[in-house]
Amino acid sequence: MSKFDDFAALHVDGDPLVLFNVWDPGSAIAVGRSGAKAIATGSASVAMANGAGDGQQVPIDAAIANAAAIVKAVDLPVTVDFEGGYGTDLSELTANGRRLARTGAVGCNFEDQVVGTDELYPIEDQGARIRALRAGVGDAFFINARTDLFLKAPSAEHDSGLVDRAIERGRAYTDAGINGYFIPGLADLALVEKICRAVPVPVNAMNLPNGPTRAQWADAGIARVSHGPFPYMAMQQWLTGQAHAALA
Amino acid sequence: MSELYRQFAALHVPGNPVVLYNIWDVGSALAVVRAGAKALATGSHPVADANGWPDGQQVPMDFALANARRVIDAVDLPLTVDFEGAYSADPEEGGENVRQLAETGAVGCNFEDQVVDGEGLHPLDLQVKRIAAIRRAVGDRFYINARTDLFLKTQTYDDALVDQVVERGKAFADAGASGFFVPRLADPKQIERVVREVPLPLNVIAFPGAPDKKVWADAGVARISHGPFPHRALMAKLEEMAREAIS
Repeated sequence: MSKFDDFAALHVDGDPLVLFNVWDPGSAIAVGRSGAKAIATGSASVAMANGAGDGQQVPIDAAIANAAAIVKAVDLPVTVDFEGGYGTDLSELTANGRRLARTGAVGCNFEDQVVGTDELYPIEDQGARIRALRAGVGDAFFINARTDLFLKAPSAEHDSGLVDRAIERGRAYTDAGINGYFIPGLADLALVEKICRAVPVPVNAMNLPNGPTRAQWADAGIARVSHGPFPYMAMQQWLTGQAHAALA
Repeated sequence: MSELYRQFAALHVPGNPVVLYNIWDVGSALAVVRAGAKALATGSHPVADANGWPDGQQVPMDFALANARRVIDAVDLPLTVDFEGAYSADPEEGGENVRQLAETGAVGCNFEDQVVDGEGLHPLDLQVKRIAAIRRAVGDRFYINARTDLFLKTQTYDDALVDQVVERGKAFADAGASGFFVPRLADPKQIERVVREVPLPLNVIAFPGAPDKKVWADAGVARISHGPFPHRALMAKLEEMAREAIS
């Protein structure tokens, strides 16, 4: 089996793959030693480690070089948080996807927000963007399509109306050829379950501090749980504490 | 820049050492700033580990310079960079490389006497020329923390070894070094002797199980750095947290 096949097979509804997000080769090696089955970068973590803001502030060359270095540092499959693919036109997305796949990464996150704005791409446009990305990355590549619907709305507004829109997007993105669907920001398990039932591809939830447990995500039908920026933030806090003790 | 250099140099007080909790990137720099640090120091080993390279000038020089610039852009504290062997055994080339480092805004660097990619240490007369060339290239306002690797190349930390350390330290001082760095020197009696005989602020490296900071302060240490240990400890913590999350 190829690394892509291995990685795809780890997505099991109700028995989620856990991805403890990394930011550089050193953190990838550490997470690899913990017994992880795959490695995922987090764009916010990469940005913070490099002193850049999130939202494609890390230049694509740096993001690609970081991905290549992580792939080289570990034997596990690596998926890269590729944000909005660093392109607004379709040919650019195809070219960027080709570059990303050449690093040896087996997958990426690809989001539907218009980076730098509060808007999402209209569904048809995002479908075209997914197809353009697919043309660059090839078939053996796990496109984890993210919808930013739940990140753009406060959790009090995470209702069945918003979930219907998420399902509509998930189905359209499935038709466009995605491998997985990522719904960060949604933590209401009944709503999560509704999406898992209605969208045909494996669904990825983002773990939140004090949010649902792995078992609860599993019961809702989730196939992948990632940790986003939280491992990095926890590490930063821990480092400050250690430094504080050493300086005292 | 010269104000930051003055701040940094003034922190080196024998008996009241400045503590440098070594960093490797912007994020770690910001975390250490939040802890109340007075200055920042990169460590070449953690920079290499974080980026997946072996240590020993496997960190490309361009990367080291760019990393220094990124950190300097992000913080207001003085930054000293672990510049290993200045990427050349040749004195003039080494001087030019450190001049480029000084241009980033870094206020100082570590500069070591081991032969990178080879055996042993550079002969003392060559090492003195290398330090003097760096001093000529960077001028007065740059903190050259001259490191001897004598203690790293042996397991026998006896008086004869300290004799050699003292000889090197005095020669480094004459060549224009600002500080003297002896990693793995730990014994307070040996530290006292080096402090007494070498006219430079002494830097030692804290390691797990090292004597208490106060013991070293009383022996006359002026700077305590942490080398690769902060990054290693952090990665061990990350591994532990990941294991919990995955299980």
